[in-house]
Amino acid sequence: MVYTRKTVWPLVFGIIMVAYAYLVQSGSMEPVIKFLGSGRNAGEMQILGYTFGAIGIVVGLWQLLASPKEGLGDYYLSMVGGVTFIMMVAFIVKWGLDPLMGQWGRAAQPTLGFNFASILNLNYVVMGIIAGIVIVNVFKVPGWAENGVRLSRLGLKTGVILLGALYSLAELAHLGRLSVVLIGFFVLGSVGVVLWLGARRNMPNSMTGVLAAGVGVCGVSAAVAAAPVVQAKSTEIAYTIGTILLFGVLCMFIFPIVGKSLGMGYIQFGAWAGTGILNSAQVAGAALAFQPNGIETLKVAEIFNITRVLFLPIIVLWLAVWYVKREQGAVKVDLMQVIVGKFPVFVLGFILMFALSSTGIFAPALHYQGNYFDNSDKVMMTKDREGKVVSKLLGDKDLAALTAEAGKVQRKDQQAALQRLIDNKKVMSIDDDDTLRGVVNAKIMGKAANDVLTKAHRAVRHTAKKIAMFRTLIAWFFTFGLVGLGMQITMASIKQAGGQPLVVGSIVGVIKALGSLVVVWLLVAETI
Amino acid sequence: MAEDKFDRGSALTVFKSDRHEDFMALVLALVIALLVYLFV
Repeated sequence: MVYTRKTVWPLVFGIIMVAYAYLVQSGSMEPVIKFLGSGRNAGEMQILGYTFGAIGIVVGLWQLLASPKEGLGDYYLSMVGGVTFIMMVAFIVKWGLDPLMGQWGRAAQPTLGFNFASILNLNYVVMGIIAGIVIVNVFKVPGWAENGVRLSRLGLKTGVILLGALYSLAELAHLGRLSVVLIGFFVLGSVGVVLWLGARRNMPNSMTGVLAAGVGVCGVSAAVAAAPVVQAKSTEIAYTIGTILLFGVLCMFIFPIVGKSLGMGYIQFGAWAGTGILNSAQVAGAALAFQPNGIETLKVAEIFNITRVLFLPIIVLWLAVWYVKREQGAVKVDLMQVIVGKFPVFVLGFILMFALSSTGIFAPALHYQGNYFDNSDKVMMTKDREGKVVSKLLGDKDLAALTAEAGKVQRKDQQAALQRLIDNKKVMSIDDDDTLRGVVNAKIMGKAANDVLTKAHRAVRHTAKKIAMFRTLIAWFFTFGLVGLGMQITMASIKQAGGQPLVVGSIVGVIKALGSLVVVWLLVAETI
Repeated sequence: MAEDKFDRGSALTVFKSDRHEDFMALVLALVIALLVYLFV
């Protein structure tokens, strides 16, 4: 089979991308960029525009002029069309629609009384997936792009592995116990409820088993891993995947809205999304939708998500025993072979990156959440381009704002940290910084004082350049993966989720989402 | 996208198995990490 199609589109997209990058570089796009407020993306507009544009032009010309024969060259180069197609959509969404929607949301706020773009999470993540869904269901993915669209899951997995670079040992030790307890309770509980409900509703054991793994653990991968253990048919796997994706898509849109309505913090929302949403990609989607301009929520959600994946061998073992008991005479399955053969390797990659990052090769050894604390004179007293000294110490007005509201702070540790800040005009330790972030998040003082605390926090917290680069790369891998994911959600696959598995999966999914919301709300403290 | 459109991989991936895709993601991520470590 020859995959390369004679089409002009990869070449056209390549030329558009290069032209756009050039216009940004030459300053011609300045008024538009200024209007959209997307100046901080100007660098990546040039780098990504030139890179993907050049690839599109070279491969596009080759596809147009050459007559490729069946083989590896044809197979892999034919993916470039789909990659440029997804990137084109991602560029339009991330650099155009996202800031435009933000502008409209803010403009309509006085009339509507709320920012619809913020409330409905109309950011690049959500709009990217919607764009993908619209393209596949209204226009269909063009034939020349289909092979490349199948690379989107590779993008998501690569993003998850790279995410490991952002974690530190201290952070995982902090969240680890909590995530294991929470996830353990909800994973095992969900599997148990699906098995019970499936039996009550007379679903086939194989269908129930594969649905239990999918709903309980980590969605699609778990369903696929559990399938041979319960001897599931391909239609049952498809039903389960359809159910998981449909429920996950709903969760991805609903979770951030609920989280924002409840005023949840990053850790709380990350813990809830990582526990309550069924599929890894949609956990990432919801976390990014909740906090599109930062990565704290995504990191917490992924820790919970990864913890959940680590339960897979236990669930596979449980299902194997359950199935053999239910189906007398079932053919014996080699359990170890299934676990070793199906365990997602990208999870091990994430742990490897985390281990590398914990050694301090990407950021100062004591980095926490990718950031490190430094309040030395070297960073507090910097020089601008003209050689003039710029101080990041708090000024007299700042200190007056803090002193005026200091009486509202009741906790002794918070009072002491605040006093040290006022005395020294800068945050004096990591512990003080965390304590004062708690004061800001609890909204103990007014806006003016909170702004000063945030300013003091930013002055002593620094992000290592390498970690910043990882953040940018991760955001793009996820954008690429999620736009492609949207292009795989057809109405047919959604309809496929109908019937019993949808009912059982939804009941358990809702119980899990609501239960985890209550538990997270009560137990998870906000410390970021 | 129907399954039978592709004689390699599946409707969801260009790789012959999930494990193969996982390894490719791992290699890609490690190469990127090395480049970031060396040049950023």
